[in-house]
This record gives sequence, C-alpha cells and structure tokens, in this order.
Amino acid sequence: MQEFLQHTLNGLSFGSIYALVALGYSMVYGILGMINFAHSEIYMMGAFAAFYTARFMGLDTPSPVNFTIGVLSGALLAALIGFCVEKFAYKPLRKSPKMNSLITAIGVSILFQFGGQIVFGADPKLFPNLIEDRTLFTIADISIHLIDMLIYFVSFVSLGILSYIIYKTQTGRAMRAVSTRPDMTPLMGINNNQIISATFLIGSALAGVAAVLVSIKYPKIDPMMGVKIGTSSFVAAVFGGIGSLHGAVVGGFLLGLGEYYLIGYGASTYKDALSFLILILVLLYKPTGLFGTTRKEKI
Amino acid sequence: MKKLLVFLALVTGLGIVLNFFLNSYIQAIFISFMINAIMALSLNFITGLADQFSLGHAGLMAIGAYTSAILNKEVFSDNWIMIPIGVIAGAIVAAIAGYLISLPSFRLKGDYLAIVTLGMAEIVRVVLLNWNHVGGPRGYNGIAKFPEFFINYGFAVLLLFFTFMTMLRLKFSWFGRNLWAINEDDIAAEVMGLDVAKTKRRAFVISSFFAGLGGGFYAHHLGYISPGSFQFIISVQILIVTVLGGLGSLSGTIVAALILTFLPEALRSLPTGGIDIRMIVFPILLILMMILRPQGLFGRKEISLGFLGRLLK
Repeated sequence: MQEFLQHTLNGLSFGSIYALVALGYSMVYGILGMINFAHSEIYMMGAFAAFYTARFMGLDTPSPVNFTIGVLSGALLAALIGFCVEKFAYKPLRKSPKMNSLITAIGVSILFQFGGQIVFGADPKLFPNLIEDRTLFTIADISIHLIDMLIYFVSFVSLGILSYIIYKTQTGRAMRAVSTRPDMTPLMGINNNQIISATFLIGSALAGVAAVLVSIKYPKIDPMMGVKIGTSSFVAAVFGGIGSLHGAVVGGFLLGLGEYYLIGYGASTYKDALSFLILILVLLYKPTGLFGTTRKEKI
Repeated sequence: MKKLLVFLALVTGLGIVLNFFLNSYIQAIFISFMINAIMALSLNFITGLADQFSLGHAGLMAIGAYTSAILNKEVFSDNWIMIPIGVIAGAIVAAIAGYLISLPSFRLKGDYLAIVTLGMAEIVRVVLLNWNHVGGPRGYNGIAKFPEFFINYGFAVLLLFFTFMTMLRLKFSWFGRNLWAINEDDIAAEVMGLDVAKTKRRAFVISSFFAGLGGGFYAHHLGYISPGSFQFIISVQILIVTVLGGLGSLSGTIVAALILTFLPEALRSLPTGGIDIRMIVFPILLILMMILRPQGLFGRKEISLGFLGRLLK
C-alpha cells in the first residue's frame, strides 16, 4: 500500500510534466493540424537556456529567487526559440501539403539534437541546484519532497494561466476561432499569423517550464533529453484526444501514472514501449482519444 | 533484351573494377549505397506514391534483419549459400508485420500512419533490447557473410534490380494508378469506387516486404546487428533520401541514395568533435528542400534511357 502511494505520487509528479509538454503538441495540432516534432527539442533548449542563464548570472546557491529566475528564463527563452522555429521553418510552408511541414518538423528536431551536441557538447551537464530539496512532511511513511510539491504547484499555476488566456482573453478566443475555422477568421479581423505565433509562444513556454522543473529534479541535462519526454507527452496528447486541451492534461496524468506503476512493479525495461502500446491500442479502439471529436468532412 | 545485356555488362564491369582496383572501404560504401537505395525505394512506394507517411521503416528493417540472421544461424547453421532464403523469409515476416501495423493505421485519415509506424519501430527496438537470446543490447554477432565480395555485390545488385523493377512495374500498373488517385484526392478516389483503406493497406504491405528485404541483406552484409542499428534516426535517413530524390520518382531515389551515401564520406574530414556530420547536413538539406523545392530533385518524373540518349548526342 505504501509502495503504491509512493508510485502514485511519482506518477502524478511526472504526469504533470507530461501534461505541460503535451499541451504544446495539442495546441499546435489544434491550430495548424501538424505534429510539431520539434517540440521535444524546444523542451531541451528550455533546460539549456535556464542552465546558461544560471551560469552567467552566477546563480549557484539554492534559493526561491534563483528558482523563480530559472523557471522564468527557461520559459522565456524556450518561447523565443519556438517563435523563431515557427517563423523560419513552418511559416514558409503554411500553404503546402501537411506532409511537408511534418518532414520539416523532423528536420528541425534532428538539427537541434545534433547541433546541440556540437554547441553544448554531447556529454551530460550538471544542472545547478536552484532549490534545496528536503522532505516537507511524512504521511503514512511516505515522505513528501519539496521539489515534488513545487512541480505540482508550478504546473498548476501554469495550467491556470493557460486556461485564463485561452478562455478569458481576446487572444484565446481568437485561438479557438482559428483552430475551428482558419478560413473564416481573417474575415472577422483576426490576423492568423499573429495567433499562430502566439500559440507557439505559449506552447513553447510551457515546455520550457516543464524542462526546468525536470532538470531540477533530475539534474543531468544533455541534448538528447527531449526525445523520451517528447514521445511520451505526444502519446499523452493523442491519448487525451489531440487538439483538445483538457485531453492533453488528463492524458499526461494517466500516462505518468501508468509508466510509474510499470516501473514500480517490475517491467521497467518495457517502460519506453508502454507509451507506444497505449498509442496503438487507443488508435485501434478509440482513434479520437478520450476527449477528441471528429469533424465531418465536406466535399 | 539489348538493354538488359548492356545493363548486365555495365554492372559486371563495375563489379570487376570494384573487386580488383578499389579497396574494401569503397566497396563497403557501394554496398551501403545499394542498401540505402532499397530502403528508400521501399519508403517511396508508400510515402511517394500513396502519400502515406511512414516513420518506422527502421523497425521493418530490423524485423527483416533479425529474422534472416536468426534463421541462418539456427536453421541453416551459418551456411552462406542459404542467405538468400533467409533474406526472403525476413522480407515475408516484415510484410506480415506491415499488415498487422496497417490494420489500426488506416482507420483514420491524416498522419496516424506516421505515429503508429514510429511507435511500432520503437516497440520492435525495445523487444529486441530485452530479448537476450539474440544478444539484447549487445547485439547479434557472427552472422554468416558471403565469402567473396563479388558474390555479395552480385546479390546486392540482384536485390536492388528486383526492387526497382517491381516498383517501376507497379507504379505504372492499375495498382499504381489507384495509389496515384489516392495521392491526388482520396475523396474523389473513393467516389469512383476505390476501396481506399484496402489499397493503402496493400501498398504498405508491399513496402514492408521490400524494407524487410533490405534489412535482411544489411544483416548479412555487416555480419553484426544490434537494436542500436535500427533507431528512429535510421528511419529519418531513409526519409531524407526519398524526399531528396523526389516523392514518387523511383530513379530519382536511386540518384539521391548515390549522392547521400557518398557526400557524407567526402565530408568526414570536417572537424565536428566526433559528431556525425551527416546529422547536421541532412536536416538542413531536408528543411531547405521542403521550403525551396518540395517536390524533390525529380518530382514524380523518371529518368528515361531515351532522355539520357538525347543528352549524350
């Protein structure tokens, strides 16, 4: 029972990370109808951005201020990189078939992975200790760590900000409009390009936040770190119904739980295959995911 | 008939030159060119002709490679004469796997094949990593090879020729035209009475067969395979060859495979600190290609011998 609770806590903590990254996939898919393969690399760049910010500002002592600066710098720089990727790689292809932007996305992803290995070096780097991890309290022999609580807290704050933007502001309303009828929105005075850029900014910022949180918990970063989290989060997005924001969050939590139960009860070497197995089962039995809807295609 | 004789003479001549005048490094590059070409042709059939995006050809290749290697070691006790049978068996197993993958993939329109094939390739890799009988992460060692370079070369040419001719005949058959119709407008194709899902499934099975063929030969060419040889990046490399040559152009694929196998070898001397230079050049090429010339070098066109003849005049 105690073991089960511990796995549940770990799963939920990783699930909130998956949820943050999955939102990026889902938002871009909702608005452009393309799978942004480079999202996992934007996540990776977020971690490196925070790493270099901390190094240049000399933040090597654990303190709440340094933690905040780390998270914010990761988010801001990741957003900037996501914005540039969209501007230079995806925007020229807006009118061409979807397969072309998919291929470009794969190209961008590989370029970041291996370009990162040249620029940052291929060996893992030690992420600075931005906050002191300690056991906050113990319930039923389960120790609750500060870092896990912070992951929950920051994720929920980010999700709150996101849902405020999407459901309460003009930009968010425009985003939802563009994802439903991109051909009609220019007639309503919406600049589609701006809205798409905004989507990339927000999605990438969430990935940056997730990257910094993970790097603080597991302080080793390397240019290939995005691959694993990227694929799992993508599966989470499909599982929840790609294009749906609630779906991405629920899918992220469910996948995080599933993976940690699998690790906890023995089959850890199969962890990487689990996400894909879920994916194939979902596509077999409920191809639209948990919260996805199918749109009727008109000729 | 005359064309065939000229082709045979050219191939034999090239083989003799490779065998007697060039070192084993160039020989190995040449064989890997042919493997790349087979894999890219196989991907081009599904991605170029039918417009269905597969990201898991490395997985199909792995299935072909391991099947062929296991069969040769366990059943034929490392007899190199039996290699062709193993390779064909590998191709058949890959085709069966392709059929199973195609079942969930074509229930929805869109990029789902890309996701499912990507997932399948990862699952294959994880299973191989955990399968200790075939070496697990250490890889599968001591696979039978052909004793002479000339036999190896001849078999590779035969496989490439077989792949190329089958694809070419299929491209201009009624089946190829069906695929073309799906590529252009699948709703219209469906209205014309074409079973779109079934046609896509068939195309994917054919493509898987040839991917398995390439994989089987790869195992016997190198004599060593490991799950690491079939990572996602390999699928991407195959994709880059296909895209550069032109989606739908089979002869373009061969040209692209030639360029993309020899170019990185020429770039090998650049200082990159141990990082594979291909992994920088290829993605940049891919992105620029998609923005500047999305149809690839040749688009859907084939290089015809008549065109070459006119060029020489």
